[in-house]
Amino acid sequence: MQPVIVQNLSKIYHSKQRQGLFKSSRREVHALKNVSLEIREGEIFGLLGPNGAGKTTLIKCLTTLLLPTSGRAWINGYELTKEDDAIRATVGCMLMGERGLYWKLTGRENLVFFGALYHLPPAERKRRANEIIERLNLGEIADRTVETYSSGQKMKLAFGKALINDAPLLILDEPTNTLDVPSARELRAMVRELNQEGKTVIYTTHIMAEAETLCDRVAIIDKGRVIASGTVAELKESLGQETVIRLEGVIPQQASEAVRELSGVSQLAVTAVNGHNLLTIVTPNQQHLLPQLIHTLTTHGAILRNITPQEVTLEDVFIAHTGRTLAEDTRE
Amino acid sequence: MRSKSPHQPSLSLIISAALAETKLRLINISRYPGQMAMEVIIPIIFAAMPMLLGQATAGDNAAANFQANTGTANYFAYLLIGASTFTIVANAFWHIAYWVRFEQETGTLEAVYLTPTSSLTLAAGVALYSAVRGVGSALIAYFLGALIFRFNPLTGNLLLALLFLFVGLIPLYGLTFLFGALVLKVKEANALINLMQWVVSLLMGIFFPVTLFPPWLRFIAQLFPPTWMVNGVRSALLGIGYFLENWYLDWAVLWAFLIFAPLFSIQVFRRVEAGLRRNEGIGTF
Repeated sequence: MQPVIVQNLSKIYHSKQRQGLFKSSRREVHALKNVSLEIREGEIFGLLGPNGAGKTTLIKCLTTLLLPTSGRAWINGYELTKEDDAIRATVGCMLMGERGLYWKLTGRENLVFFGALYHLPPAERKRRANEIIERLNLGEIADRTVETYSSGQKMKLAFGKALINDAPLLILDEPTNTLDVPSARELRAMVRELNQEGKTVIYTTHIMAEAETLCDRVAIIDKGRVIASGTVAELKESLGQETVIRLEGVIPQQASEAVRELSGVSQLAVTAVNGHNLLTIVTPNQQHLLPQLIHTLTTHGAILRNITPQEVTLEDVFIAHTGRTLAEDTRE
Repeated sequence: MRSKSPHQPSLSLIISAALAETKLRLINISRYPGQMAMEVIIPIIFAAMPMLLGQATAGDNAAANFQANTGTANYFAYLLIGASTFTIVANAFWHIAYWVRFEQETGTLEAVYLTPTSSLTLAAGVALYSAVRGVGSALIAYFLGALIFRFNPLTGNLLLALLFLFVGLIPLYGLTFLFGALVLKVKEANALINLMQWVVSLLMGIFFPVTLFPPWLRFIAQLFPPTWMVNGVRSALLGIGYFLENWYLDWAVLWAFLIFAPLFSIQVFRRVEAGLRRNEGIGTF
């Protein structure tokens, strides 16, 4: 059985657009547009996309928090909107990170409480809470109120909360968002470990490197649509002969526009990095293009600091499809 | 696809989830001990104001004037029962609104909605917590007030008074879910609570009998279950007279509220909830 099947799922929000103090107009936001996915048992499936792409909306639909406007989905064999209780019982979720915890309760009290809401018998709740505390090395802080935890400890506890019902499917929405590098690495290692124990994982992130190292397959979402999906290798291969050149420096807009006009530039994205610009160029012919690039940029006033021909990354796949980087917020 | 869910919890596990919600809130409030002390003092101060005003304006005739209009000269007990019952009612509105609004803001509302426990079970747990806290504070305030104002708190039919109180709690919480639905919809709690508290305190007659109202306002007041609850408690303890002459008729009205108010409110709450799920979601504030 496929743990997740999504068929043509769409979600339209209605929001008010303020026009002055008293006036507002109704606005339709198409957060998901005919999304279709199949997630296989035992895989780590990455949902990748910039902020505002629709990842969290999709996750909220799949976890029954939002009703889709159209389309169908089955989670662990249960049909969305028809068997929502069963879906919730068979999914472990980490959404909104540390915000989903009661700060005046201890870590252990939080876990036992959520165990009760997942309908675990009292003895089972305590046993599961103890297991999670031990597994996540939370023993020293488990009996302190959550308000005294560091941000990383809160995220760890929130991750533990997702494990309380021992669900076969874990849905983790940007779980490393506020973590420092070592804590993020530790959490990813735990996700891998749980996956090896047989759990299917849906992992949303806007960090491409994270998806590359962790996920078996990924779907790239942009503006509510799945624009590409497959294994990391498949997605990279989908660029064919295309390669990537990154140029860093002071690059005026007219210089980057001039580059865009060059034949041999398939896609181009500009990002601001540490007061400089980073130009990412996808091209089928790196060697032929490079001298032209340098010439065009310098004649248009660019001061180049660094030129790096690179291997294709998932970010480049995204750029190749959209002409934008993942750093851009695409929220409508 | 599977057609039947094997994930139906037993009744005991559903009750256990509701009790976990109650326990969570009791643990939470136990970590703010000052608040509990305040809650006991508030109804005493609330009742003391009209007592002193009455004494200041009517002097030695205060008790006689009061008896002429209410049926009892024991205005200390009358006002303290009103203020204590109002504490229960105001707390009920406050706790349900606070549950919805505060948890929306902190993110825990979405977290509990991710679990298979229904919002009705969660609400029952919150209501039980609120009832335990409100009734506990009100009883302590009543007995403490009796000590301060020197009257016998155990006059009349105490058991009947408790029956009116407990039967009245259920339709009261039914109404609070309507209020909770309104808070979910408009995403604002404070102004709504402030407004509700004044309207409720007027309508339920915490300092005066609603029979003093003009007929149209009395009719509106008597559509509100706490009005019957507070009058029942007062009649049982102070013998002021039931709205429908006999205690069992007044009690029957409360039972009618008990059946219809929760059913109606739950329907409204669920509709609002479904509306939110169709649009921006339950946790958006």
